[in-house]
Amino acid sequence: MDAMKIANSIPMWIACGIPVILVIAQALIFAKKSYSAGKKIGLTEKQMKNAIKSSAITSIGPSIVILSGMLSLLITVGGPMAWMRLSLIGSVMFESIAAGFGTASVGVQLGADTLTPLALDMAVWTMILGSIGWIIFATISASRMDKVQHKISGGDPAKLMAISSAAIIGAFSSMSSSHLIKLNKNSVACVLGAVFMAILLTISEKKNIKWLKEWNLTISILAAMIITAVI
Amino acid sequence: MENKDFYEGEYMPQMHKIGKLTGFLGAVLSFLPALVLAVVYGLLPKPAALATAFISAASAFGFLWVVEPISYFTVLGPVGTYMAFMSGNISNMRVPCAGMAQVAAEVEPGTEKGSIISVIGMATSIVINVSVLTIGVILGSSVLSAMPASVTEALNYLLPALFGALLMQFGLKRIKFAGGMLAFAILIGIAINAGLFNWLPGAANYLTTLASVFVAIGVTLATYGKKKEAGK
Repeated sequence: MDAMKIANSIPMWIACGIPVILVIAQALIFAKKSYSAGKKIGLTEKQMKNAIKSSAITSIGPSIVILSGMLSLLITVGGPMAWMRLSLIGSVMFESIAAGFGTASVGVQLGADTLTPLALDMAVWTMILGSIGWIIFATISASRMDKVQHKISGGDPAKLMAISSAAIIGAFSSMSSSHLIKLNKNSVACVLGAVFMAILLTISEKKNIKWLKEWNLTISILAAMIITAVI
Repeated sequence: MENKDFYEGEYMPQMHKIGKLTGFLGAVLSFLPALVLAVVYGLLPKPAALATAFISAASAFGFLWVVEPISYFTVLGPVGTYMAFMSGNISNMRVPCAGMAQVAAEVEPGTEKGSIISVIGMATSIVINVSVLTIGVILGSSVLSAMPASVTEALNYLLPALFGALLMQFGLKRIKFAGGMLAFAILIGIAINAGLFNWLPGAANYLTTLASVFVAIGVTLATYGKKKEAGK
């Protein structure tokens, strides 16, 4: 039987659909519990609605990038696996490499040779085994790291706040730096994104323009992206 | 005080319970496609070949399994960690959305309110992410490949622009600290490219984030103590 027919068969859609439903279910359960907990600890509905709106706006750009990344995976391992892997644990970069290792182990080069059913099976297994390490380690360690963090901060909320803000700056410094040192168009996009953001943040802060505060990230990213692509 | 009891005594234990249950369930359910291939199509992996493939994958990415949850924990919080590693796409989507949700709700990261807002923000991003992928996969590759090449090329620049803009969003108020951290991250990146860290397994890709996050925390802890003393 043709490997791609197997990869895109109804049983595969069902097998991949169930984990995807779990991802959505987990997100909705956490969100619902947190929403009612938020009300109890003094968050207003307006604050929480603003959070949803802002996150939705921020999600648009990255979602499209992930979608375009799914294209290459879709061709090589079929729709269901591509869909599941980018919804559950996976990341665009890791998945195609793992699939490649899997098919190579039985002598099939992913994307170049015709996929055999055995190579498909090997790709699926390698993608699964290669990704569950993340979720297992994260799930086991989350409550322990919570305790460690409380110890470091000594239960001082202000200290914990300072640590968290610093960690965010550290994380985005690292992600920006990886593009900046490439000294190519990616670096240009990164610098432009930062410059537009600085300008829009200053304007929206000073003049207190509410809608601009919500959209300044999206405007900065799109402007930086388009300008970089055109020059 | 009652609120504190509710958060620590009721909310968090419940979140840990749900997080662990769904996390392990996710790990188990991700084997379903392999099971279908075996049961429906009689396809079984070759053990020796699978071992080779797994070792290749583990040596390329195995360090990330441990390093990423640790690096992002302070940013994501405990509940966020369950969610982010279940859904993936952490640096390019979960962290930005959690951060922007906190900005919109005007709460501080690391606080109880901040954690709850980041959970709500992340859940929103997961629903949108999965919905977009679902629509995309239904429309199929033909429609996706109909995207003009100029659009596909431009999309390459979206993430670098996002990271630059986010660094500004969170760093503008502490511009000296952010500038210092960026300079540090660039130095580490250059050192990695120069091969100074080749002795570390996994191509040392994870090193910049790990080092940047922990140096940022370390510097903050060191200066925090001093500020307090100066205050006395």
